[in-house]
Amino acid sequence: MSSPSKRREMDLMKLMMSDYKVEMINDGMQEFYVDFHGPNEIIFLPFVICGCVRSVSGGVWRIRVELPDAYPYKSPSIGFVNKIYHPNVDEMSGSVCLDVINQTWSPMFDLLNVFEVFLPQLLLYPNPSDPLNGEAAALMMRDRNCYEQKVKEYCQRYAKAEDVGGPAEEKSSDDEELTEDESDLSDEAVAGNPDP
Amino acid sequence: MLPRKRAAGEEVAGVVAGDSFLKKHRTDCLISSASEGVDNNHHPPSAMDCEANGNNPPEIDEDLHSRQLAVYGRETMRRLFASNVLISGIKGLGAEIAKNLVLAGVKSVTLHDEETVDLWDLSSNFFLSEDDVGKNRALACVQKLQELNNAVTINTLTEEFTKEHLSDFQAVVFTDISLEKAIEFDNYCYNHQPPISFIKSEIRGLFGNIFCDFGPAFTVTDVDGKDPHTAIIASISNDNPALVSCVDDERLEFQDGDLVVFSEVKGMTELNDGKPRKVKNARPYSFCLEEDATNFGPYLRGGIATQVKQPKLLKFKPLSDALRDPGDFLLSDFSKVDHPQLLHVAFQALDKFRNDFGRFPATGSEDDARELIALATSINESMGEGRLEEINEKILRHFASGSRATLNPMAAIFGGIVGQEVVKACSGKFHPLFQFFYFDSVESLPTEVLEASDLLPANSRYDAQISVFGSKLQRQLEEAKVFIVGSGALGCEFLKNLALMGVSCSRRGKLVITDDDVIEKSNLSRQFLFRDWNIGQAKSTVAASVASTINPSLHIEALQNRASPETENVFDDSFWEGLDVVINALDNINARMYVDQRCVYFQKPLLESGTLGALCNTQMVIPHLTENYGASRDPPEKQAPMCTVHSFPHNIDHCLTWARSEFEGMLEKMPTEVNNFLSNPAEYTSSMKTAGDAQARDLLERVVECLDVGRCETFQDCITWARLKVDVYFPRGFCHEYWCTILVRPKTLPEASAIHVDRSILKAENFRISVPKWANSPGEFADAVDRVLVPDFEPRKGVKIVTDEKATSLSATSIDDGAVISDLIAKLEECSRLPPRFRMNPIQFEKDDDTNYHMDLISGLANMRARNYGIPEVDKLKAKFIAGRIIPAIATSTAMATGLVCLELYKVLAGGHKVEDYRNTFANLALPMLTMSEPVPPKVIKHLDMAWTVWDRWAVHGDLTLRELLRWLKDKGLNAYSISCGTSLLYNSMFPRHKDRLDKKVVDVAKEVAKLEVPSYRRHLDVVVACEDDEDNDIDIPLVSVYFK
Repeated sequence: MSSPSKRREMDLMKLMMSDYKVEMINDGMQEFYVDFHGPNEIIFLPFVICGCVRSVSGGVWRIRVELPDAYPYKSPSIGFVNKIYHPNVDEMSGSVCLDVINQTWSPMFDLLNVFEVFLPQLLLYPNPSDPLNGEAAALMMRDRNCYEQKVKEYCQRYAKAEDVGGPAEEKSSDDEELTEDESDLSDEAVAGNPDP
Repeated sequence: MLPRKRAAGEEVAGVVAGDSFLKKHRTDCLISSASEGVDNNHHPPSAMDCEANGNNPPEIDEDLHSRQLAVYGRETMRRLFASNVLISGIKGLGAEIAKNLVLAGVKSVTLHDEETVDLWDLSSNFFLSEDDVGKNRALACVQKLQELNNAVTINTLTEEFTKEHLSDFQAVVFTDISLEKAIEFDNYCYNHQPPISFIKSEIRGLFGNIFCDFGPAFTVTDVDGKDPHTAIIASISNDNPALVSCVDDERLEFQDGDLVVFSEVKGMTELNDGKPRKVKNARPYSFCLEEDATNFGPYLRGGIATQVKQPKLLKFKPLSDALRDPGDFLLSDFSKVDHPQLLHVAFQALDKFRNDFGRFPATGSEDDARELIALATSINESMGEGRLEEINEKILRHFASGSRATLNPMAAIFGGIVGQEVVKACSGKFHPLFQFFYFDSVESLPTEVLEASDLLPANSRYDAQISVFGSKLQRQLEEAKVFIVGSGALGCEFLKNLALMGVSCSRRGKLVITDDDVIEKSNLSRQFLFRDWNIGQAKSTVAASVASTINPSLHIEALQNRASPETENVFDDSFWEGLDVVINALDNINARMYVDQRCVYFQKPLLESGTLGALCNTQMVIPHLTENYGASRDPPEKQAPMCTVHSFPHNIDHCLTWARSEFEGMLEKMPTEVNNFLSNPAEYTSSMKTAGDAQARDLLERVVECLDVGRCETFQDCITWARLKVDVYFPRGFCHEYWCTILVRPKTLPEASAIHVDRSILKAENFRISVPKWANSPGEFADAVDRVLVPDFEPRKGVKIVTDEKATSLSATSIDDGAVISDLIAKLEECSRLPPRFRMNPIQFEKDDDTNYHMDLISGLANMRARNYGIPEVDKLKAKFIAGRIIPAIATSTAMATGLVCLELYKVLAGGHKVEDYRNTFANLALPMLTMSEPVPPKVIKHLDMAWTVWDRWAVHGDLTLRELLRWLKDKGLNAYSISCGTSLLYNSMFPRHKDRLDKKVVDVAKEVAKLEVPSYRRHLDVVVACEDDEDNDIDIPLVSVYFK
């Protein structure tokens, strides 16, 4: 593995090569924003078997990424900048509770994993039994319809392209490719990871 | 001053002991340490004190010993506190052992030495100065030893030691004794009732040994010092054998044959009987029980399995038997498998030599060496089966030549190990050394051959060291320019070692030590250069001035700067370039990483060490020979995820983390926030309006709570607040049983009541309300609590509890934060009835003050939460270790780590050593285990015909533009895609706007983008380049230095 100082550069490079929009603050590498397009089936369903996967237009979130000094030995800190209604995302701070980003992070993971696998996974399979947004978790377990309504409401209100700083500027051909990639990746990840 | 309580204990013991004739005999020769006429000191310690004290356990000063308590626990500390120890032979080794035991806090230490101080002693005994030459060794050390810990009685014995003295001690240590005497004393100890633990240890030059005999049947209560493993149960089958599955958060650490007890199991309650049950088929997340559970009740939920630690019985052999049949040696270095056996013979030969000639073999004398080899050969012949095929004469020559010298690093290492063995002997905590240990460090000798003339004494305090290493290395030591980073436990030990070795002790040498910390009471139990009266002073300054009293020629400068990127104006290029070696004495990884990175940059050797409880490790970082510190890493510490801490704690750590964050939120952050508001209400509210998000809403809600409902004017208000707060934390429905008891009769529940006290008092501190005296009287306080009108326990609205039945109703809450914020601000403005200049007083968590109620509140809160969740509770001490993140630390492992490092320092300063000569160590004194290994060489990266390591840097000359730099790399077959300086990107091929920079000078871009400040003297800047070769493989190239002027 390359030296830690170069890991940041490589990770950034990989993200950009995969057509993520990365916005750096004064060219600093410790803190930056990445625009994240949620997977298309955005209703966060815990059990795919017991509900039809409804298609809503995927939201766009601006994700704040902070790479600690000890990156990649320490996990990056990931936060949603615009609001999201999700059992495992703190509504106030946007911080994320996800085992692979917190406890089980490994230096073998990189930022591309975060955006291609971990975050899509999180949105598709929220875990209401280990919540950061207790309200969302409770609602999801007790009143699915109301929960879905709320997710959509938040999505429409806060997760449009304008909300992350202007209309999305990708070329359409890239867009399709990206979507395909993502669904592939998340499927793979699901197969390999039966949890939770 | 010595506590009076102990004197009384001794008198009682004197009567009980019964063999009073011994006492009279001894009183004449025992000289009290404290000269201030404390006559009880003249009473000799008695073997029976241990039992006499057992009924009335002595108080442990927990502020002083908190770091050590975290290693040993209270029980071990109490046993230590009741133990009388003899140390015979007070040269360097005796002094180190005495220091470690006095710091640890035994009942008494008796120093025995019949000889007087000579110059050779000054190389290793840090209690002595040149003025002491000619005095009795034991007497010369007493006063300084006493200063380390007034609670320990220090006696001296200056006449010949006879075996009649032995029965006064629980443990005896001999550091300079003939084999004949040793066998006699050991036999006495072995057969004594109860047996006396006998330890014999010698250090001769770069060679040392230890022998332990703790009697025919010694019980070890805790073999490894680890906390018992626990498991949270998920299910138990009604099978034979029963299968226990556990939650899959953490892997189980049970092994087959372990015993476990169950608690809090619901359903299959038969298991809660406290009977230990045997584990078999241990797997990562389940295990079987040797138990037929078919007829047990069906498992419902809950339950914790806790390992029961098994005591171990050890049967020691007496010295006379063990000499003939030494059994397995504790091996420390796999490149020296045959050394222990060789040294076993060599030390016996040396004893014979001294016996025959009445002296040590002369330094550098070939005749004496030959004599010793002959003796060793004949002893080896008599060993029978265990004898060596061949005697390594080269090693024995070194052994003979240096045998008279006591070297400080060896004394530090052996003092640490022997000190720990005494603790084991007194307490049964940790596994003793069984039975012989031999060690040598011949690799520390200079690489060039030393002639007898190099070893001649110079009539200086370094003569002992010169006799082993020669005068050239001595001069190199004295002229060394050394930087010690940190002046804590490791730093103090290093300063002592370096002062004794004479490092930086000439005009041309210089030792710089830096530490930004001040001395606290909890430091005193192992940072032995500090005293009570230094509390609050800067660590580095005090340590440096005390070190100068050990050796007045020490040329030392003390700084109070933390080594970090912010202090690079102090520790600038010329500072680093002037150094010979850097020694880390740090307590955190970040600082270590920083110093490592600086050392790599300036190509300086870095001697790294660290301890954790009984563990210690050392790592040598030598330019071009070894990998750097940052090249390998331990996995980061486990942290509980937020969600678990918030809603689903399942062990006490989670509860404590939560309690501490509540403490900080409630008593520190909110008052600070309130003060922010109060200092400029208009600005505060307008900024909140602008933010207009959920976070702002939350903050405002709390500020309103603080100033409105939570505002306290009298102490009774504080109590009311505290009482009501408990309801918020522990609402009904969460735990009915507990809640009902607290609801009906709050004053009968000590924890609940105590929490009110803590919180009320701390809240009062927040509002600067004086605390009435009755607050500390439980009865009156409970009455005051009763006076609080507790509202009916309707489920509270607006309280976010995940499992609350009412949670769904929350979905109706508006998500329009803006409106809520406006309401709150209006409410805030109503709170204008505050006196002007009113400010709250934020409280910062301080773990080390037992009178500030901080830990009381946190442990109380955590335990109540634990009770709600069915988690076993902990006492305040344990809570303090966890919540205060107290790092366990003891003097023994620290001393040992620094000794090991100083053996390496000889190599670094002499120069010319190969990587095979250096040693990294990992040791665990609890087991005991010592593993030495060669450092790992740096990773070599090859590209085309080039090769480099982390120690290389590429220099490119000329004031290049980015484009020129890219071309320069291209010529090496490297395609750079990213160039950065510090944490800023100068160029990245993916950013179109970076293309505009290509024709700018690298140095200008760095100044503009990375805000790089280039001091006028500096001719270069460094950039990190990420690049690929022509096949698109990433190549990790060295740092590139652009010399622009």
